[in-house]
Amino acid sequence: MIRGRSPVVRSAIRAASPLALLVAAFLFFAGHNQPGGGFAAGLVIGAVVALRTVAGIGRPQDATRWFAVGTALVSVVALASLLGGEPLLDQVIVSETLPLLGKVKSGSALVFDAGVTAIVVGLFVAVFDGLDADELGRDEVQV
Amino acid sequence: MIWILLVAHLVGVVAVLSLPNPRPAFAVALAAPLASAVWAASRLGGGETDTARLDWVEGLDLAVSFRVGPLGALLAVLVSGIGVLIFVYGHGYFGGGDRRGFAATLLAFSGSMLGLVWADDVWTLFLFWEATSVTSFLLVGTKSTDSAAVTAARRALLVTVAGGLVLLAGLLVLVDVAGTATLSEMGPVTGDQATVAAVLILVGAFTKSAQLPFHVWLPGAMAAPTPVSAYLHSATMVKAGIVLIGVMHPVLGAVDIWSGLGVTVGLLTMFWGAIGALRHADAKLVLAWGTVSQLGLMTAMMSLGSGKAIFAAVSLVVAHAVFKAALFMAVGEIDIRTGSRDLRSLSGLRTSMPVAFWVMVFAGLSMAGVPPLLGFPAKEAAIEASLKETGASGDLILAGVTIGSVLTVAYTTRLVLALFSDKGGESTEVAPFRWAAAAPSVLLSALGVVGYALAPSVTDWVVPAATTLETASAGYALLRWPGLDSTAFWISMGIVAGGAIIGAAAARHSSPPEPVGANNVDRLVDRTLDLAKWTTGRVQHGSLPIYLVVMALVASLAVIPFLGSIDTDQLHTWDRPLQAGMGTTVVAAAIAVAVIRSRIGAALALGVVGLGVSALFLIQGAPDLALTQLLVETVIVVGFVIGLGGLTTQFPANGFVWRSVRIGTAVLAGAAVTVALLASAEDTPSNRESLTAAAVDEGGGNNLVNVILTDLRALDTLGEVVVLVVAAMGVLALSRADTARGGGAPLSDDVRKVRR
Repeated sequence: MIRGRSPVVRSAIRAASPLALLVAAFLFFAGHNQPGGGFAAGLVIGAVVALRTVAGIGRPQDATRWFAVGTALVSVVALASLLGGEPLLDQVIVSETLPLLGKVKSGSALVFDAGVTAIVVGLFVAVFDGLDADELGRDEVQV
Repeated sequence: MIWILLVAHLVGVVAVLSLPNPRPAFAVALAAPLASAVWAASRLGGGETDTARLDWVEGLDLAVSFRVGPLGALLAVLVSGIGVLIFVYGHGYFGGGDRRGFAATLLAFSGSMLGLVWADDVWTLFLFWEATSVTSFLLVGTKSTDSAAVTAARRALLVTVAGGLVLLAGLLVLVDVAGTATLSEMGPVTGDQATVAAVLILVGAFTKSAQLPFHVWLPGAMAAPTPVSAYLHSATMVKAGIVLIGVMHPVLGAVDIWSGLGVTVGLLTMFWGAIGALRHADAKLVLAWGTVSQLGLMTAMMSLGSGKAIFAAVSLVVAHAVFKAALFMAVGEIDIRTGSRDLRSLSGLRTSMPVAFWVMVFAGLSMAGVPPLLGFPAKEAAIEASLKETGASGDLILAGVTIGSVLTVAYTTRLVLALFSDKGGESTEVAPFRWAAAAPSVLLSALGVVGYALAPSVTDWVVPAATTLETASAGYALLRWPGLDSTAFWISMGIVAGGAIIGAAAARHSSPPEPVGANNVDRLVDRTLDLAKWTTGRVQHGSLPIYLVVMALVASLAVIPFLGSIDTDQLHTWDRPLQAGMGTTVVAAAIAVAVIRSRIGAALALGVVGLGVSALFLIQGAPDLALTQLLVETVIVVGFVIGLGGLTTQFPANGFVWRSVRIGTAVLAGAAVTVALLASAEDTPSNRESLTAAAVDEGGGNNLVNVILTDLRALDTLGEVVVLVVAAMGVLALSRADTARGGGAPLSDDVRKVRR
């Protein structure tokens, strides 16, 4: 419906998607010390997915893959510390001075958070798949 | 080494499944059991104990823990050693064809069983206990196109898994009363709580070991291919319950009800199983009922708990595993070579299948407890253990064991005589001999003789195993020849003579009576399913508004206990005047949502509510919450665009009653949430300082909320995201089920309603 009627909206969504992804990336990395984090980043990417669905532009299709990646990431972080004899989910923190970025401090929690992001995005894809939301982006669907 | 062997089973499963060519499936599969059997055999008779432990969550006493002592080694030899023979036999039994999935499942079962007998932690034990239930379900249902096999598999799964749940309850109570989850650290416990644990654990063991009245699944499980029956339903899985009773003996043996319940059920099962074995005309079913009967004897001995009885139970476990596997294999060989297992029609097999005949004779004599076979000293030990019991209960036990044994001899005699007699007329046609199908049974039946000849060595293996369960078991021995002045010997000879006469008479009976129906479980299952359908029809009627009303009402009831814990002194109007303004906006927008007739208008008003709440968070000083709320609101707006696209622009008009119900529910739910918030607000976070300090030190971040989410309380997050994934996969499955069934599925009414 929207695709047929409003090229402006479609173009706007198309143009805004990379910017929104950038916002998501910012939120993701900012989460350590400022508001944001993996869940928020996942929501932003989810919103992008939703908008692209409505506009009938391509969007990620395979929710199962997102879940697989996300679950694998969180599980690896959770179990990795066991191998080192540490308790479950114990964090490893790395602090490095990099060119351009200056001092960067991060830990395995970042990977854990990436898993959370992937799962949240997967949830959106799954819901849109479940609702056959792609139908809405097609011209022939009448309101 | 323990880890290596267990992981080898897992690797084996993957390897078998990924074989490019199905032919060597069984050969690849037997590698891991072979290694385990060799390792365990090298430890037989030795006193050393190996442990392996992986602490998972120390604070909760959760660990994966194994301990291989003399008992673990002995049982592993049985599990893995017979496992190897079963894989060889399976190769011959199936004679080609793609059996990769079957071999992998059988190997998975073998590994689960090994983990079960080695477990030193109740949760590890339970995990492998359930794993054997699930893998055995897959194995019994191998012929998935055969509805009888599927029903049998379902029955076996339901009984054993229901028992597993009872066992879980028992273990929870036990861990609570014993104060540890590690089996080797548990001391004897008594008292009411211990009694509850004892009964629950016994029931769990009864289901797995096919004791009355849970025995019904075992004969049905004979629908499985014979390698499965020979392995699971004789030598291994059904022994899990016996092993459990044994392992729990040092802990719960002192509980009053323990031995009384176990012995009573065991002896009744021994009797009833033997009757069943006498009545059936299918050779495999005779063996199945015989197994039920033998398991009864083992259960009785293991729960009797005296030194001699435990010794007898362990000896019986060994002897039974050896001869019963051989018997099953021989019957399976007859089955694949003649196409029949019917005692009434098979004829002339003594000359056409001499190998199977002699296997059946030797293994049968061992089962009947006749010298010179391993079954004899084991049975002698059981009789002597019964003789040691005093008083009226001792007499009853002796009578029970004696009657059960007479019947055992009888059904064994009948089986062998009827199976191999000439019925007159033409002999049954027999397919060509297969080495792989015959060799394992020959080996096992020969082991019966060898075991008798080497009884002192077998004693050296059994006694240390039994003494780990009961120290009083030390000093007993398997006697090749107890001597003519032994009471047990004369009882034993009387049993053999009496049983042989009854058996011979029963074998001449041309048409045995029809089998006793074991369909009660099936009927129960059908009733339960009917009830489930009925309940589903009532509860899951497909109306989304009613679902919401019911859920909201139930959730509202949950806050009633918190009504009293609201601290009214803490309540104050606002921290900042801005909150009052924002709050008014939110309330006004919420009322607007309920009043506006236009759908898009209501959605916008709802958006105002969300943004208002987000602003309240911000004012309160919670930027993280505000950000998340804002993002969620954004997504919800897009969701409305999608959802409203296919709907009318106005809400449909509702009648007065329905409208009142909905308003009432909404108000109630709102009140409930308010109460919940007020009640929990009083609980000031006392550990705030420690969390703040930990965030920077351990988490390495300054955003406390996110450090809590991803580090300090990451286990919660892990659980939440897993729930999220499961829920989302459910959504996917439901929507795909709809497409697959052409849109007519009752399950997806909601989905279609939303779509419309």
